[in-house]
Amino acid sequence: MSDKPEKLITDDGLRLDGRHEDEIRPMKIEIGVLSRADGSCYLEWGRNKILVGVFGPREVHPRRSQRADTAVIRYKYNMASFSTEDRARPGPSRRSTEISKVSREAFEPVIMAELFPKTAIDIFVEVLQADAGTRTAAINASSIALADAGVPMKGLVTSCAFGKVDGQIVLDLNKEEDNYGEADFPVAMTQDGEITLLQMDGHLTPDEIKKGMELIKKGCKEILEIQQAVLRKKFETPVEEVAEESVGIETEAVETEPSLEYTPEATAIEETIEEAGEPEEELSEETAEACAVSEAAQECEKLEEIAKEAEAEVVEGETVEEVIEAEIENEAEEEAFESEAEFEATLEASFEEASEPEKLEEHELEETISEEAEIEPETEELSEEAAQPEVEAQLEEEAEIEEEPQLEEEVQLEEEVGIEKISPKETFESESEIESEAGSRKEIPPEQVVEVEEEPEEEKCKGPWKVVKDPSESGSRGENDE
Amino acid sequence: MSEVIATLKKDYIYSLMIKGKRQDGRGFKDFRDIKLETNVIPKAEGSAKVTLGNTQVLVGVKLQPGTPFPDSQDEGVIITNLELNPIASPEFEPGPPREEAIEMARVVDRGIRESGAINIKKLCITVGESVWIVYIDVHVLNDDGNVIDASSLAAIAALMTTVVPNEQQGIGMNVPLAMREIPVGVTLAKIGSKLMVDPSLDEEAVCETKLTVVSSSDGSIAGMQKMGPAPFTETEVLEAIDMAREKAAELRELYLEGLSKKE
Repeated sequence: MSDKPEKLITDDGLRLDGRHEDEIRPMKIEIGVLSRADGSCYLEWGRNKILVGVFGPREVHPRRSQRADTAVIRYKYNMASFSTEDRARPGPSRRSTEISKVSREAFEPVIMAELFPKTAIDIFVEVLQADAGTRTAAINASSIALADAGVPMKGLVTSCAFGKVDGQIVLDLNKEEDNYGEADFPVAMTQDGEITLLQMDGHLTPDEIKKGMELIKKGCKEILEIQQAVLRKKFETPVEEVAEESVGIETEAVETEPSLEYTPEATAIEETIEEAGEPEEELSEETAEACAVSEAAQECEKLEEIAKEAEAEVVEGETVEEVIEAEIENEAEEEAFESEAEFEATLEASFEEASEPEKLEEHELEETISEEAEIEPETEELSEEAAQPEVEAQLEEEAEIEEEPQLEEEVQLEEEVGIEKISPKETFESESEIESEAGSRKEIPPEQVVEVEEEPEEEKCKGPWKVVKDPSESGSRGENDE
Repeated sequence: MSEVIATLKKDYIYSLMIKGKRQDGRGFKDFRDIKLETNVIPKAEGSAKVTLGNTQVLVGVKLQPGTPFPDSQDEGVIITNLELNPIASPEFEPGPPREEAIEMARVVDRGIRESGAINIKKLCITVGESVWIVYIDVHVLNDDGNVIDASSLAAIAALMTTVVPNEQQGIGMNVPLAMREIPVGVTLAKIGSKLMVDPSLDEEAVCETKLTVVSSSDGSIAGMQKMGPAPFTETEVLEAIDMAREKAAELRELYLEGLSKKE
């Protein structure tokens, strides 16, 4: 073990590893690294190397430890004997037993264990290399592994520690700082900032604790962003593919319909709308907006919960679209559509034929057509829409973008069959759906929207699901915070 | 330590909490009656028994010479052990300590170690070869809630009355153990949205989570530990710290400061 350095914080306020007082060590997370585990995660944080495997919900052994009303959560923290400078004795120690207990308690508030009675959810943590802050690193990794295993959680748990070094409060201690520092204060918190793990040893005044808690909140926010980025990389890949498909279709549309203004896809959509003879003003405006952000379109699709439902609907919508297309081709042999009623019937039929008939959609469709898509049945929510113009606009934008493939197909359809009246309805159906969506999602906080704009930054991350983020590189440390 | 408790009782405790009351009529900031006896086991170098309501904890301190750790060759060693004996509760089973016993032992240990309560430099017999090893053994005799605070109080009281047996080793006169600080642990139980000190067994069974705060005589914090599955908010943590410091100061004045004067 090396001797205590003279100063743990240099005169220019930097720490031995060059970090500022409120900076975390670089973190790297890989997800799904073990094939036999239901969920797994490998995390490097500074010189810490942590591997977590999650098993379950699965049968409980021994049987007597099972619970009739809920799943048993078991957390085993284990240090490899070679993980420290002096060889650690293998097997459980008093320290690891304590860490296992408090870490389990850190997850108990978020894991929805009541959904899996009589089962066990096992979290196994292997510390392969330890360099201070292993329990916090293990909790961050376990969050990802649990998500990877598909264990329902109310949110991610994020953890980091603050401490006191040379009388100064600093975030995320490294080994030297931990050895020679005056205090260590590990905390784990939920996305809502509720504290699920709290330990402390050393010497701190209440004011120092208050200051430290501010650092912790900042650190946890940064870690949460890294965690979310990793999960997005892994679980949103299919959506990206869909977006790429639509690019191909766009090109086709351009060939047939040379554009004068806007981007090609904007023209295509506009033309569709114009032919339909429906209120173009609003639409074209929005479309233009949509096109302005069309480059970010794929990124936008990566939105988390807000967009998820919208996405789902888009995907469903497309399958329905295909059905419709097929239907249309059949019908085209006889005659093109003449009346709205006829189209409505066909649409309804195709909805029924679709693998996932959605009652709501059918209903909405009918309403939409009869009322010329003015107001949704969920009128009470309209007032809320007004209160949420930003969110709504955002959602509409995204939705518009996601609608593009549909619209494009419509263009093609028109060419093929010469149906004129499809597009307005289609457009409005999806439009109004999204509006209702926006209305019913009043609770979406504005920061979710901010996320979207930050999205492109994540482009920097290379590889399919590997994210390396060094907070020291980004000049905007903590400034994105709400 | 959670005993099976009827839902009715749980509801009752909750409904009392909403009215600002507790089952046994105490306020949220009131400890149960505390009785502290020291030197109860003369064969131990130091000992103390704390009776907190019906909770009884006995701490014995033994000192033995041993080799120091390689990274602290001139410092004595502190080893804290806590046993939840089967005699203390029908819930406890014989066998190796369970995780909650280990956790409590480590929290008591942390408070003593991190506050610098013992001047471990004075426990050195020969640098690099021989130092005193202080064994703090906590025996829980009856668990009626809040074992951790009783243990923390008994441990520091036992240490304050400990005599270093130099004569036994032929290295001079027996001297009192060199103490520098009096850390006191106070545990806050969170029931609903309220924090209360010294949870009884029933309150412990219904509380979602507890926070132990060990503070020193200057009001600084030497150790903290959240125990239990439910989360705390930041405001609650800060409130708990203030309550714990206040109560710790009271306990220190009432029960502990007199001990050092006797020496």
